[in-house]
Amino acid sequence: MRKRRVMAEWREYYQNEDDEVEEDEEDSGGAYKISGRDSLVFLVDASKEMFIKGEDGEPSNFDMTMQCVRSVYTSKIISSDKDLVALVFYGTEQSKNPRNSFKHVYVYHDLDSPGAKHVQDIDKLQGEKGAQLAEKTMGSGETSLGEALWCCSNLYSDIKLRLSHKRLMIFTCRDDPHVGDSAKDRQARTKAADLKETGVVIDLMHLTKPEGFDVSLFFCDIVSPPEDESELGLQTEPCRKLEDLQKRVRAKELKKRAQSRLTFSLGEGVNLAVGVYVLARTATKPPAVRLYRDTNEPVRTKTRYFHAHNGGILLPNDMKRAQVYGKKQIVMEKDEVDEIKKFDDPGLVLMGFKPMERLKLHHHIRPALFIYPEEEQISGSSCMFTTLLLKCSEKNVFALCRYIPRRNTPPRFVALVPQREELDQSQTQATPPGFRVIFLPFADDIRTVDAHVGPTASDEQVDKMKEIVHKLRFKYRSDAFENPMLQQHYRNLEALALDMLAPEPIEDLTMPKVQMMDDRLGPLVQEFKDLVYPPDYNPEGKPAAKRKPAESGGGGAEKKPKVEMSEEELKNHVEKGTLGKLTVPVLKDACRQFGIRTTGTKKQELIDALTMQFSK
Amino acid sequence: MLFLINESKSSLVLCMDVGFSMSNSEPGQEPSFEQAKKVIQKFVQRQVFAENKDEVGLVLFGTDGTKNGLAEDGQYENITVHRRLMMPDFELLEEIESKLQPGGQQADWLDALVVCMDLLQEETMGKKFERLNIVLLTDLNVQTSADQLDVIIDSLKKARITLQFFLPFPVDGEDRADGGGDGPGPSAAPVRPGKGLSRQQTQGLEMVKNIMTSLEEEDGLEEVYTFSDALQKLSIFKRIDRRPMAWPCHLTIGSSLTIRIVGYKAVTEEKVKKSWAIVEAQSHQRDDVKRETVYCLDDDNETEVQKDDTIQGFRYGSDIVPFSKVDEDQMKYKSDGKCFSVLGFTKQELVRCSPFMGSQVVKVFAARDDEHAAVALSALIRALDSLKMAAIVRYAYDRRSNPQVGAAFPCIKEKYECLLYVQLPFMEDLRQFTFPVLENNKKFKPSESQLSAVDALIDSMMLVEKDEDGESVDVFKVNHIPNPQFQRLFQCLHHRGVNPDDPLPPVEPWLKRDLERPQAVSARCQTPLQDVKTKFPLKVVVKKKEQKTSADVFDQEHAFTLTSIPCEVSHFNRRSLFQVGSVNPVRDFCTLILSLLNLHKNVSY
Repeated sequence: MRKRRVMAEWREYYQNEDDEVEEDEEDSGGAYKISGRDSLVFLVDASKEMFIKGEDGEPSNFDMTMQCVRSVYTSKIISSDKDLVALVFYGTEQSKNPRNSFKHVYVYHDLDSPGAKHVQDIDKLQGEKGAQLAEKTMGSGETSLGEALWCCSNLYSDIKLRLSHKRLMIFTCRDDPHVGDSAKDRQARTKAADLKETGVVIDLMHLTKPEGFDVSLFFCDIVSPPEDESELGLQTEPCRKLEDLQKRVRAKELKKRAQSRLTFSLGEGVNLAVGVYVLARTATKPPAVRLYRDTNEPVRTKTRYFHAHNGGILLPNDMKRAQVYGKKQIVMEKDEVDEIKKFDDPGLVLMGFKPMERLKLHHHIRPALFIYPEEEQISGSSCMFTTLLLKCSEKNVFALCRYIPRRNTPPRFVALVPQREELDQSQTQATPPGFRVIFLPFADDIRTVDAHVGPTASDEQVDKMKEIVHKLRFKYRSDAFENPMLQQHYRNLEALALDMLAPEPIEDLTMPKVQMMDDRLGPLVQEFKDLVYPPDYNPEGKPAAKRKPAESGGGGAEKKPKVEMSEEELKNHVEKGTLGKLTVPVLKDACRQFGIRTTGTKKQELIDALTMQFSK
Repeated sequence: MLFLINESKSSLVLCMDVGFSMSNSEPGQEPSFEQAKKVIQKFVQRQVFAENKDEVGLVLFGTDGTKNGLAEDGQYENITVHRRLMMPDFELLEEIESKLQPGGQQADWLDALVVCMDLLQEETMGKKFERLNIVLLTDLNVQTSADQLDVIIDSLKKARITLQFFLPFPVDGEDRADGGGDGPGPSAAPVRPGKGLSRQQTQGLEMVKNIMTSLEEEDGLEEVYTFSDALQKLSIFKRIDRRPMAWPCHLTIGSSLTIRIVGYKAVTEEKVKKSWAIVEAQSHQRDDVKRETVYCLDDDNETEVQKDDTIQGFRYGSDIVPFSKVDEDQMKYKSDGKCFSVLGFTKQELVRCSPFMGSQVVKVFAARDDEHAAVALSALIRALDSLKMAAIVRYAYDRRSNPQVGAAFPCIKEKYECLLYVQLPFMEDLRQFTFPVLENNKKFKPSESQLSAVDALIDSMMLVEKDEDGESVDVFKVNHIPNPQFQRLFQCLHHRGVNPDDPLPPVEPWLKRDLERPQAVSARCQTPLQDVKTKFPLKVVVKKKEQKTSADVFDQEHAFTLTSIPCEVSHFNRRSLFQVGSVNPVRDFCTLILSLLNLHKNVSY
């Protein structure tokens, strides 16, 4: 019993043991703790109008909606698998809902975190066959949006988890769903108001129809007012294209959360509050979970430390931290290790301003962040922030700041680059207003590169290349490429989860479309090569002077013969401090040869281990 | 061959004058000896703790004794090879701290230089492509015989040895290429050249100039520094910094256009290289600590299971899919090796709007000594530059790494041309958040007087100024500041290493100063800042007790009425609510009471 208690404390302690905290981790500290889950209900019109195909085989509104819902499902699975999603149809003939108390409302998926099965269900509703299936299972019937909203509000309240953000999106192409039935209109308005009262945000994703969609007819009373109460309200243009619809849904689907809230100090006690947001972060394959073989249930890991000789459990203060340099071990307390990293309190401190042209494109070390004022922390922040934004943008300058993101984190300098709001053609926000936070490199981060100096191209050669460039122009969009590694990973999981024979093949968008490029270029490539390469030159061939046979990998690289090193030689290296000259494999072999335990396989760790062994 | 020697390795000899003139100083100034010693200390500290693999030797001249390979018949006296070439270690640091003392003699610095050259040549014989460098720290205050100067310069050139000089005074007030005022904070007023210099010093200075210009032509004098320069910016020691690894590859456009290229990491976030090991508090032994990881089921008994009885799985939304390592490896995405393949070309401005990803920038050149590749790549670079376009490429470092999509921008410098490669985001990396309008929001619209106050503030806080000649001078170059994290870590390690029982020292003042707003700017912006302060009311919002939104009430109500209490608090500890367990009964009880109280409070709201 005693032992158990110790372990429990241990677990708590070791949860924040990691020395290097993942830098991008959403900040969980301070008053900004997020409790509960985000939820999203898709309320989709299933009336006949939704199934009408567009001209020239364009997908129906229903189809478009399903594709959009599917992409939200899959992206939730990848990026936020704790979020809850539901899919509800209204205007159906059949009814299916928890207590079957609502007519013409069909709950296809109750609020739940989406899994493989859900995605498969959506797939069944797509295309010609999907329309048939929908007709068969749900059919199209009478419409009562009020009943549908009521049903949705029950979905929210039935859920036994704490919900932090609640959103409901209505997909429809009918601007007057009850065709003049004012009683139904009234009921819908009341139910919408009830929902909004309980914190549900209602959005309208209205789809195109021949006579145009008139929001003011009915829906303006249903949806939530825009969050900033400004002029920019409803997007009055209906979505025509899937791309637009996806963009509109995606912009709303994620609740934006600040990574942290910080004070931005201009000096002399002039402080405003800003929220720091991550608008792009490298999505990685999630870590594996261990499962118990017999039941496939996840197991937890517990790590504990004990004394090698007497077997007693070691508590945090029974241990210290150490590093070895040369032959010297330097020991510190855990607290001291943290203290070394502390320079100042978290925050942004203004150093001054510089003209934009001083910001070098190639001074990139980390993805940028984004800041936006936090009126709730310091009132007046928004006005100060807006003024700075306007003036920096007008004067074409950026603000240079010292940035400390959290406690016990060393400072970095950042450039705050003004970014004014831009809307795209469909009136969706393309770039939000605020400052981009660009990390600047220190002297240590810049490597000295010996430039290769060679002959330059003639105008004729350059002009030929311009033709090539011209033929291969395209409009880059940052969301155009999917990560093939991640996609493959999730397809594999999907296949396993759904007992499919093989995963669906992925399209690797990062591969050059060689055939198409060759066709577009035609004879240009040969013409260019004739201009720059002599006839006997083969760029694919091996370089004339081979210096490093070990490098140039490619096919089966020959293995170097293993040569054992004598103890004498090793000792000599240790003495002279020249172990660093040996390669990692040689060092590893040496450790293996003499049975030396190492803490890791990094070069320095190997060197340390050998040094410890042979300098005794 | 037994092992491969890393080609990019460097060797460096620190050659310091410890002669008696070095101990002299103007009143109120630190003697040259102390300054030079500090430079060496800082440098070695950095080398030791950054675990730089370069070898360093230490030669002292002006010592009372003589110890070097060339000493014979009264030649090369009072020159001591204190340490031959080896990786700097803690011992060297301690030696510098305790044993590096002023000598009572004087020795010819040219002789010392020859001893250093001899040392370098002897120690690096038979090793190829080493970068060799000699750093001379002296006040030049000694009679020097210049008769062998040409021979010395010749052999320096032949052996491809580079030189750096550190002097107490600037080599030439006007000619100094670096211009001063670069580093933040006030720099110690350097002694003016010509003024107060002895005959030997003036003569020595001429010889230094002579040597440096014949070695490096016009840039030679850039490698002559003052002691105070060196202390402020340790980045001066660039010369022996590690060179990035070459990454040879082929740039391809379509199936038949190939250009041989080499990439180098030009900018990358340098991280602390060493992690902390855990040692037992008393013995300080790593072996005394054993770490054990156990697996247990998430049941009430925390039943332990053997590692062999567990398998690997992944979350797929709400599902957890068992997926063995073997299967995963077999089914995972496989890239077909290193590549730099053009996918297409696009307008630079379209790429600049996109966030940049990753932690590095790669400079791409044509393969070395391949003039055809150089011409072909030059054509591409120039074409892109004149069209203001960039190439979008698929980049894979090697067979094992995952492919990236990135942009290659043209970069044309006076001396060279290259492509700059930056990683771009994948769709999965992006989060499209929408933010409320600021500019046209009536609530936040600034008044004219507010706008002009900020305008004046920006003007007063410009970090780029025009000097007398109309040249722009950047007074706060971040890329010249060494990362304070490393400096601080090295300082603490050094201190703890020498004084194991002392508390950690405070942050060094110069390091602190590096991180502050330059004093001149601070002074200038006083008035405008006061103006901003009065024109913008900024008030910290006093935190009211977490206001409950209607949403919360809704949740809570239902949670209560549905008697689903355990779920209400499930995310923090489900069991403890119903059960006061034996593991930690007090905490469990408190939790139970607290959550009931909370519920009660919320309901009564």
